[in-house]
Amino acid sequence: MNTESRKKALHYFYEKVVGPLGFKFTPDAELREFLLEQEVILEGKHGVPFCPCQPLRHDRARDMQIVCPCIPFHRKHFDAIQRCWCGLFVHQDVTDPDKLPQLPPKEVGLE
Amino acid sequence: MKKVSMYTLSTCPWCRKTKKFFADHKVPFDYIDYDLADEATQRRIMQELDAAGASGFPFVKIADEVIVGYQPERYASALGLQGGAE
Repeated sequence: MNTESRKKALHYFYEKVVGPLGFKFTPDAELREFLLEQEVILEGKHGVPFCPCQPLRHDRARDMQIVCPCIPFHRKHFDAIQRCWCGLFVHQDVTDPDKLPQLPPKEVGLE
Repeated sequence: MKKVSMYTLSTCPWCRKTKKFFADHKVPFDYIDYDLADEATQRRIMQELDAAGASGFPFVKIADEVIVGYQPERYASALGLQGGAE
């Protein structure tokens, strides 16, 4: 499967998963395409589409918590910032993702 | 000029934006792409992230101040740049 086909497959799968969690794809098409492409590359390298913006620790239990879409593992944090860390997904009511700063848990009163 | 260094990921668009911010403002910086670093360097970086309570990239150090995430207003403020994050 080539990169474009795999991106479409991930898009199809993710859309079904994140909707019930209250999220949707970012309306920023350029960001969306870039992140999906990075995930396809990471999947090719590691066998799993990890988040492109969080570190692999080479600890399976922890690494599984950054497999996209990782929303369930970071629910409080992502709900607080209305986006996931990499910005591929935003809360369903978000129309301008540029207004959502990338704040770590500590800066939104978590951890 | 305060020393700027950062840990980033080669796959992360926010890390790219962060590097661009400092380049656009002609602020010299050092960086290490975590995913391209050797194992010992990765361990050292993770220790720093854990100590700062950070779990994602970009991880920026401006002198002694640590800023996690793409936060151009905070970069500008830490550097005392006129015109803020523009």
